[in-house]
Amino acid sequence: MAKAIKSIKKIELSEEERRAQDLKEIEDALIDNKEALLETLEVVGHMKDRGVISVLNGMFGEGDRVLKVLVDLLSTKENTMAIKNLLLLVGALGRINVKELEPLMERLNNGIENVSEHEEVHHKTGYLDLIKALKDPEINRSLSILLLFLKGMGSEKDQGM
Amino acid sequence: MSETIQVTINGVSTVVEKSKSVLEVLHTNELDLPSVCYHPSLGAIETCDTCMVEVNGEIVRGCSTSLSKGDNINTTASHVKEAQDIAMNRILYNHELYCTVCDYNNGTCEIHNTVKQMKKDHQAIPFDAKPEQVDNSNAFYRYDPDQCILCGRCVEACQDVQVTETLTIDWERERPRVIWDNDVPINESSCVSCGHCSTVCPCNAMMEKGMEGEAGFLTGMPDGTLRPMIELTKNVETGYNSILAISDMESAMRENRIKKTKTVCTYCGVGCSFDVWTKGRDILKVEPQAEAPANGISTCIKGKFGWDYVNSDERLTKPLIREGDSFREAEWDEAVKLIASKFSSIKETHGPDALSFISSSKCTNEESYLMQKLGRSVIGTNNIDNCSRYCQTPATKGLFRTVGYGGDSGSITDIEMSELVIVIGSNTSESHPVLSTRVKRSNKLHGQKLIVSDLRKHEMAERSDLFIRPSSGTDLVWLSAVTKYIIDEGWADEAFLKGRVNGLDDYIESLETFTLQYAEEVTGIAQVELIKIATMIHHSNSTVALWAMGVTQHSGGSDTSTAISNLLLVTGNYGKPGTGAYPLRGHNNVQGASDFGSMPNMMPGYEEVTDEKVREKYEKAWGSPLPKEIGLNNHEMVKSIHDGNLKCMYLKGEDMGIVDSNLNYVHDAFEKLDFFVVQDLFLTKTAEFADVVLPASPSLEKEGTFTNTERRIQRLYQALDELGDSKPDWKIIMMIANELGADWNYSHPRDIMAEAVQLADLFAGVSYDRLEGYDSQQWPVTADGKDSPLLFQEDFPFPDGKARLFPIDWTEPIQFDDEYDLHVNNGRLLEHFHEGNMTYKNEGIKAKTPESFIEVSPELADERGITDGTLVRLSSPYGAIKLKCLVTDRVQGKEIYVPLNDSGEGAINLLTSSYADKDTDTPVYKEVKAKMEILKDKGSSPLPKINHRYGNPQPQIGVQVERKWARKDYLFPGDMVKKEANRFGKSH
Repeated sequence: MAKAIKSIKKIELSEEERRAQDLKEIEDALIDNKEALLETLEVVGHMKDRGVISVLNGMFGEGDRVLKVLVDLLSTKENTMAIKNLLLLVGALGRINVKELEPLMERLNNGIENVSEHEEVHHKTGYLDLIKALKDPEINRSLSILLLFLKGMGSEKDQGM
Repeated sequence: MSETIQVTINGVSTVVEKSKSVLEVLHTNELDLPSVCYHPSLGAIETCDTCMVEVNGEIVRGCSTSLSKGDNINTTASHVKEAQDIAMNRILYNHELYCTVCDYNNGTCEIHNTVKQMKKDHQAIPFDAKPEQVDNSNAFYRYDPDQCILCGRCVEACQDVQVTETLTIDWERERPRVIWDNDVPINESSCVSCGHCSTVCPCNAMMEKGMEGEAGFLTGMPDGTLRPMIELTKNVETGYNSILAISDMESAMRENRIKKTKTVCTYCGVGCSFDVWTKGRDILKVEPQAEAPANGISTCIKGKFGWDYVNSDERLTKPLIREGDSFREAEWDEAVKLIASKFSSIKETHGPDALSFISSSKCTNEESYLMQKLGRSVIGTNNIDNCSRYCQTPATKGLFRTVGYGGDSGSITDIEMSELVIVIGSNTSESHPVLSTRVKRSNKLHGQKLIVSDLRKHEMAERSDLFIRPSSGTDLVWLSAVTKYIIDEGWADEAFLKGRVNGLDDYIESLETFTLQYAEEVTGIAQVELIKIATMIHHSNSTVALWAMGVTQHSGGSDTSTAISNLLLVTGNYGKPGTGAYPLRGHNNVQGASDFGSMPNMMPGYEEVTDEKVREKYEKAWGSPLPKEIGLNNHEMVKSIHDGNLKCMYLKGEDMGIVDSNLNYVHDAFEKLDFFVVQDLFLTKTAEFADVVLPASPSLEKEGTFTNTERRIQRLYQALDELGDSKPDWKIIMMIANELGADWNYSHPRDIMAEAVQLADLFAGVSYDRLEGYDSQQWPVTADGKDSPLLFQEDFPFPDGKARLFPIDWTEPIQFDDEYDLHVNNGRLLEHFHEGNMTYKNEGIKAKTPESFIEVSPELADERGITDGTLVRLSSPYGAIKLKCLVTDRVQGKEIYVPLNDSGEGAINLLTSSYADKDTDTPVYKEVKAKMEILKDKGSSPLPKINHRYGNPQPQIGVQVERKWARKDYLFPGDMVKKEANRFGKSH
């Protein structure tokens, strides 16, 4: 005669048994991932040395608040502009032809070097100095390059990428 | 082969299929054409205008334009691109792009993908919020008008695929939006929460609530942070390219933690398959796939949203052993040893036939196979059965008598394409929701005719072209009378009868009594109606018959099923597309449970246990002698327990203590068992009587196959780990068998199937490899893997290949004393399932349908002074139930209706008797009469006002895009670029 019954006596694990079970699970996981864990620990050690851990701790500990502050901060006009500029600049950089720019950069560096050597220049350049300077082959070459650049910059080109 | 024509696409001459639209042609030729509103399962909707394309110099919508020979298509001209761009700008005006923090950013967002495809960097018209709030009222999905692009896919699906006809777009308001019924909150509408709308929505406007805040890495953040985040993303955007790149990255990261697993629904027998998205143990959503063979993109509320039971706190996680007046949790080892020793000692003392086994229609084919193998091979008894005994065995019997296979004659597609559908004793739209949508759709859009025979005016009846309400249990009479009339009129299919059917003369003779007049007297259906039915069948080139429990659960259930099949034979409605008999299987695997041998008289594949050759085959394979005698069925088992012969029962996945008839009698039997093992997800009513309860894992936690009503075998894959110490049934059965010394070695359900198909010829070519993913096979399957979507095309599986007309007589339903004056009809509700073990774990469903009830006709309510909420007691000679009333004209006169989903004081089977179908022992659940006693006059309605049955559907065809085009502010993008082009031309 088995009457219908509903009550269930659960297996109650004692604190100790539960602890032993948990520890066993952790131990298994440790052994299964030995290599990865040891390496991770090394990384964690470095992070501790550099103080990264405590920074992360603070950030994650207050996740939503930190994120809110961050988003609010980024949402200010200057910062939005900055991010926008950054994205635009990244886009612009992608379009500069660095290969062709390289020889030009060499020359630019020479120019900068020259200027820095003669940092304490005080004398004024007059018309005649300018005309005289045109005869200097180095200055003449620079000017020719500059004129070509200005011509290119002013010409109407398709916006194509 | 479909007809092909030559056209020119962007200057290249190409051969294309004539029947295809420009859009389809371009997509097959791997050419890009944006198409936001187009969905392959819905066809052209024409709302988004992004598929602008030039055909013969004219800009048109590619989705709805067909092609003729020599047409010239241009997709690349700048004005074509410009027209597409105009359309896309209009979409982005309605939809805010914050992809990275959007739960829909999972790689399938049509807007995201189209922006990317069009290389669109900016939008010309800025996004402008609509002045409406998000509708969060429904428990399962929500609508955000602000994100809605008015593509109308949801409306199309609701109106013409699901055909609940709740959704429309109000095109006339200043900012159009989707509305429910006549513009009420979702939860107060006629919406049945089938989920079609959220499935087809191209973006996050209509979204499953399970996804909200769960799918993305950043989407779970509190609103206070989310909004500034969206603003930030928008403000810094320098163009969509960089934004989309970031969201693509985030979307890719999601793949790492969201698992998408194909599974097969575990509710009714339609056999819907879909992907289930899980994150850990959380079920985020169910995502139907167009390639799913039975359902495509369709689901019902249970398949789409009814999975909470899997993670219910009430799940059993350890074996339970009865000890005094409570159960004690135990380890597997102890439980299995106890079971094995009890089984052995009972077998030793009383013989193998003192033990019995009951398989489950919820379990897999492999598990059904193992259960019967355990009973037959390890214990040595044929006392094995499954729950189809409660529902569908009479239908199987009727088909075996006449056509030789006990399954649906064809596929759901045959039902869909048929010219005439006759539904008998089936509340299809609630019991087989997705299958019913195919009938509703064909009836609404394609001129399919629908005849319904039922006591109750359910949705199918409301939609039918002809609805008859014969007296309960008299379907056989009108069916036979109609058949006789057809023969008498000379409308029978002579050629078919002559070439493919035996027994015509005897059959005609047996019809003698079934005159129209006799039928009118017995059924109460006027002769003109009967003639109308005959005429409709005569005028249709193809007819299918669908039936269910309203036919089978009667004293003459097998005979009525036979009558249906006879009618189909006489009219030649077998073996051709769009014809056949469809006994709609009620559970996900009720077909498979019998297919794989959980029956007292049949081995797997419907081979007789009494056939010596069959037994030899299995004895050789299993290495043990097998019992020769036919075993006990469920019904006989209960009696045998009472008689003191059956001592032990091992039952899995069936709450027999609720679903069998005459419950008091069944419960008494359980109490008398010496040893009772129940295997289930929960501590069910049945399990309360057990000595050992074993915790099983549900479909989402295991692999295997189910066979749906179309005889379609489909694989399910494991989505979740087993909960606690629960185990898949096949593993449990194997543990018990091995403890009894069987030495089984199945490492995966694949191994079990491989063994079964070697033995059962019906499934010879079934294999897991051929069932990979969404692939499926419909039995019979020959060794080379060829399956049978449509049966009987060549011959019937009898020795001479011919079908048999089977003469039958009408069996009068059980009579009751006059004091039992109310006929108690009973059956399913859309939103609940069976005894409610699974669906009552779902808060959303419970809120809409919290309890069972008694449907009372307005006439009876008037007579007895009943209103919604009146508490009554119904008593039959066998027992009594207590429920609240609901007054509705779905029922009439003295017929009342009780849903079968209650497992407490309202459990319908407290009323039912132990009488059964004379041929199969299926209980006569539908032959119940009771008297009613009012316990409490007034009370709150058992059906809350938020139930869809109070809704107010708004039928229309499709989304009515013409109303959009008629708006003053609408300009066809093609015309705009043309004007532009003209103006340009003049000024230069």
